[in-house]
Amino acid sequence: MSSVIERSSDWFERYLVPPLSALASNVYLQAIRDAFVIFTLPLIIAGSLFLIIANPPIPALAKLIQPYYYDILVPYQLSFGLMALILAFGVAYSLAQYRRTEPVQPAILAMVLFLVATLPVTNLMNVTFGSVLPYFGGEGLLVGILIGIMSTEVMRWFRGSRFVIRLPKSVPRNVTRAFEALVPTFLLLTLVWAIEWFVSSHTVVEGGQTMQMTLPYLFMKVFEPLVVVQDSYPAALLEILLMMLLWSVGIHGMNVVTAIAAPFWFAVLASNAAHPTAAHGGIVTEPFFHIFTHLGGSGATWPLVIYMLRSRSAQLRTVGKVALGPAIFNINEPVTFGVPMALNPIMMIPFIGIPAIIVTINYLAFSLGLVHFPVLLQPFTVPVGISGFIATGGDIRGSLLQAVNLAVSAILYYPFFKAWERVLVARENEASQLEAARPTPVVAKVG
Amino acid sequence: MIRVLIVCSWGMSTSLLVDSMLTAAQARAIELSVEALSAGEYAEKVEACDVVLIAPQIRHLRKSIEKLAASVGKPVALIEPFHYATMNGQAVLEQTLGLLTGSPGGKATT
Repeated sequence: MSSVIERSSDWFERYLVPPLSALASNVYLQAIRDAFVIFTLPLIIAGSLFLIIANPPIPALAKLIQPYYYDILVPYQLSFGLMALILAFGVAYSLAQYRRTEPVQPAILAMVLFLVATLPVTNLMNVTFGSVLPYFGGEGLLVGILIGIMSTEVMRWFRGSRFVIRLPKSVPRNVTRAFEALVPTFLLLTLVWAIEWFVSSHTVVEGGQTMQMTLPYLFMKVFEPLVVVQDSYPAALLEILLMMLLWSVGIHGMNVVTAIAAPFWFAVLASNAAHPTAAHGGIVTEPFFHIFTHLGGSGATWPLVIYMLRSRSAQLRTVGKVALGPAIFNINEPVTFGVPMALNPIMMIPFIGIPAIIVTINYLAFSLGLVHFPVLLQPFTVPVGISGFIATGGDIRGSLLQAVNLAVSAILYYPFFKAWERVLVARENEASQLEAARPTPVVAKVG
Repeated sequence: MIRVLIVCSWGMSTSLLVDSMLTAAQARAIELSVEALSAGEYAEKVEACDVVLIAPQIRHLRKSIEKLAASVGKPVALIEPFHYATMNGQAVLEQTLGLLTGSPGGKATT
């Protein structure tokens, strides 16, 4: 048994890890993921609070708030609603960090360029803020990402090239920096403005109103089919399988998939948030995975922690004690690397399979309207039970769905847990007989 | 003062290990500072540290992290996954000290 486990671990390490690693270490994907997590999430989460205040789940309260509805929405619109603008800044900043160049200048430039790309080229006095606001949020994410990348890469190229204004060494560093940035700033500003001028010389009819076309509008139209495809069961299944396959070889799966899927997740979430009380809404969003699938951490490992606390294996008991606290906040690295789940052919089966089943249950529950679609974003560390209620904008059936999923996870993990426990107990007995010492931790080889 | 950078993904789970390492260091009267950061922040801050450790869930970035550390002459190693799992600050501290003295205690770059 043990040798089979070791041989398959070696096989994974040789054939499964390299391609997954290559995908996961792409610098653009990393920068996009950092930009979402570090720069936009705090604003989205804080903004969500105002959204829930404006749309309270209790009808009597909703009526009371009605006259102030738009006033309460203002902080939401100017935080959550500016997600794409902030993302442009964040992508440029994070990418510059990875590229080891000065990050603030390209980040500020990215914000300015994003504004130029988003506002139609015309007399700006005639443009109302409300008419462009949607493109600062969910509908401008792709433009934000592209502009962020462009800003940093172009600036970096110029910094290493001959086309910069150079100053004598005696000039303070900050002054030099400002001059270095001048040429690429001017060029990019001109370029984006020229493209936007061309684009906004065309008009479109949207909601019965004729308006000038803008770059975010154009991109949204081109990518709309992709957004629709992403918000489907096959896409959700593919995403969870990729996430768990990565985690199965010990790589942060959520992290990698977020980088690819986040623009779609947040576009859907933003449109859900804009119509929180609609009959139907998008399904495949960040909370769909973090809140309704990864219960107790990636792989829905909450029930395993309980099993471990009373395990006959000393290793599992040790890990269980450490894993309990983090599990409450949906953190499960102790489980993933301590049981371990990663590179463990016995535990990999449920580790991938159970989340796939839970995703299926979730998709059914949301698409049949059994549970209100996700509207709010919250930190993934909010404990299971509370988080399901919040994510759905105050639908108690959100918590019930989590409970059902926990039960499914508890039942399906059990036989695999018992099988792995037997392996460990056998090893521990063997070790104690051989050395008559305390049990040594047995770990599937990683790294 | 020993300054350790732990490169991880979102810093959530690593913060538990950081606390455990600090407690272990205090018990041995070692002056230690530990910072958990993302790969991007690491690229920015690598010069201002003594040791670089890599959390197991981002081992796919190991090569690029090691390359950068080597270019500025910092010792670097992957944290043993089981020590990470059990938040064993004592063991990771040993690994850190091993890296600094270059003893086999710390499994340095291979």
